[in-house]
Amino acid sequence: MILQVIANGIIAGCVYALVALGFGLIYKTTRVLHFAHGAVYTASAYAFYSLSILLSISTVISVIIALSVGIVLGIAVESFLYYPLYNKKVPFVISFISSMGIYLFLINLIAMLFGNEVKILQPGLEKTYQFAGVILTRTQIIEVIVFVIVFFGFYIFMKKSGLGRLIRALSNNPELATVLGMNVRKTRILVFGLGSLLASISGLLVALDIGIDPNIGFSAIFVCAVAVIIGGVDLFEGAVLGAFLLGLIQNIIIWKLSARWQEAITFGILIIFLLLRPQGILSYKKRMEEISQ
Amino acid sequence: MNYILHLLIMINIYLILAFSLNLLVGYTGLLSIAQAGFYGIGAYISTLLVMKLGINFFIALPISIILAMCLSLLVSVPSIRLKGDYFILATLGFQAVIYGVLYNWVSLTRGPYGIPGIPRPNLFGFEFGSIPSYFILSGILALLVFFIFRRIVLSPFGRTLKAIREDEIAAMGLGKNITKFKIICFTISAGIAAIAGALYAGYITYIDPTSFTIYESIFILSMIIIGGTGNMKGPVVGVLLVILIPEALRFLKIPDNIAANARQMIYGMLLVILMYFRPQGIAGEYKYE
Repeated sequence: MILQVIANGIIAGCVYALVALGFGLIYKTTRVLHFAHGAVYTASAYAFYSLSILLSISTVISVIIALSVGIVLGIAVESFLYYPLYNKKVPFVISFISSMGIYLFLINLIAMLFGNEVKILQPGLEKTYQFAGVILTRTQIIEVIVFVIVFFGFYIFMKKSGLGRLIRALSNNPELATVLGMNVRKTRILVFGLGSLLASISGLLVALDIGIDPNIGFSAIFVCAVAVIIGGVDLFEGAVLGAFLLGLIQNIIIWKLSARWQEAITFGILIIFLLLRPQGILSYKKRMEEISQ
Repeated sequence: MNYILHLLIMINIYLILAFSLNLLVGYTGLLSIAQAGFYGIGAYISTLLVMKLGINFFIALPISIILAMCLSLLVSVPSIRLKGDYFILATLGFQAVIYGVLYNWVSLTRGPYGIPGIPRPNLFGFEFGSIPSYFILSGILALLVFFIFRRIVLSPFGRTLKAIREDEIAAMGLGKNITKFKIICFTISAGIAAIAGALYAGYITYIDPTSFTIYESIFILSMIIIGGTGNMKGPVVGVLLVILIPEALRFLKIPDNIAANARQMIYGMLLVILMYFRPQGIAGEYKYE
């Protein structure tokens, strides 16, 4: 039983980690608390739903189009909203409120088009597989495989490629990066494209696993923001670590207590970290003033 | 006539909420999206005290205010001395927790079914049952909140809050304990929001968790951002606009199932447009700098 709980926790962690990676990447590079990330996540899940279920287009094409919808949406929000605000040098509160406005707009647009009720993409029981006493559904196995591939792809991209180095440079020191003649605009677009792609992948997986409703983005964004904080904002491995930790703790609590206290547990973990280690588990050494500005 | 009085009662309730959030956003520069949580705490605690323990509304009201204030410390104490983003995140989390508890603690709150048949407030045998009398009650409470608010912002305490908003380091340099001031401000704001909650529950006589979601929090925030924050007239303008414009749209015969979503889409767009062109809102003072 404990093995099953751990397996469930790790699978939940895989899905959280994908959103958290994108959210953390955007937050770290552009200092935008990208609330609309949740809308990107929801929109691509709905795009997949309407293509593959409503229009019965083949799965591969639906996946490609749905992921593109997410990427385009993320880049559009960056180009028409955050970048103009960045040029005006506004404080982060303004970009956050704008982001919330866009979230509200998009989520309600989705609710208006598709209705508020839960939509299930895979009706009926799924095929299950058993490994050493742990029962996994087919979607859960897909989740793990996709996460492993995407994470290693992302890791190699960030560490080895020139574009990845550009992103890391921008996130470490935006002023210096600009002075050295880096193209901030293009790098930001790349960051938002990449972040939105990760969110969209996770959105599709969740849609397949548990179904969609217009509000799935809100809990996703909350869990992932907490994962980024507890894992540590400085390194993107932190977001993944935080996501796995949250997934595991949540599943252990669900097993011991009940699923109803999930938000309360996430909030409790956030509060404990804010009190004891606000810089997160993995982080550079910092002075208190750098965390509390 | 009753329709107009109903609108005025709703305006009074939202004025109380707008003032509570204005104290936080406009005067102290702290952005919170947990206001609907405290609004819900006020509504549920006063209702449960009235219905389960048979306590009079006017005694339940102060108890719910105090409990909301105590719960607010759970958010403010850990997060307020950190960066602004962390505080926003903590309020977001608190909002999610409150909704989760209201929705899931079925034995206490009846969860998604809501609590019907809440009695109207009763003072020395006089029941505020009719709409005109409830309008007077809500008006008195809104005025009271307005005077408390005015008293706070014009006092040295209020000026310190403004100083913190403008320049934290300068305020610290003048020997102000900014963490303490921020926590007190957040606590007062939570208490005021609870008054609105109790008033709402007593008026509608039915509450369920869907009235206290994150969208309600964003709605309250967009009201004061549209009207403007940091002074006394901004929130009033915002509340009047945001409550009355949808009522005007009602006469355009938009189907009900679309109207709610369409309204929120308009608020979302308004937030974006205002933040770009006029961050101080229509009649506000604070530009979030």
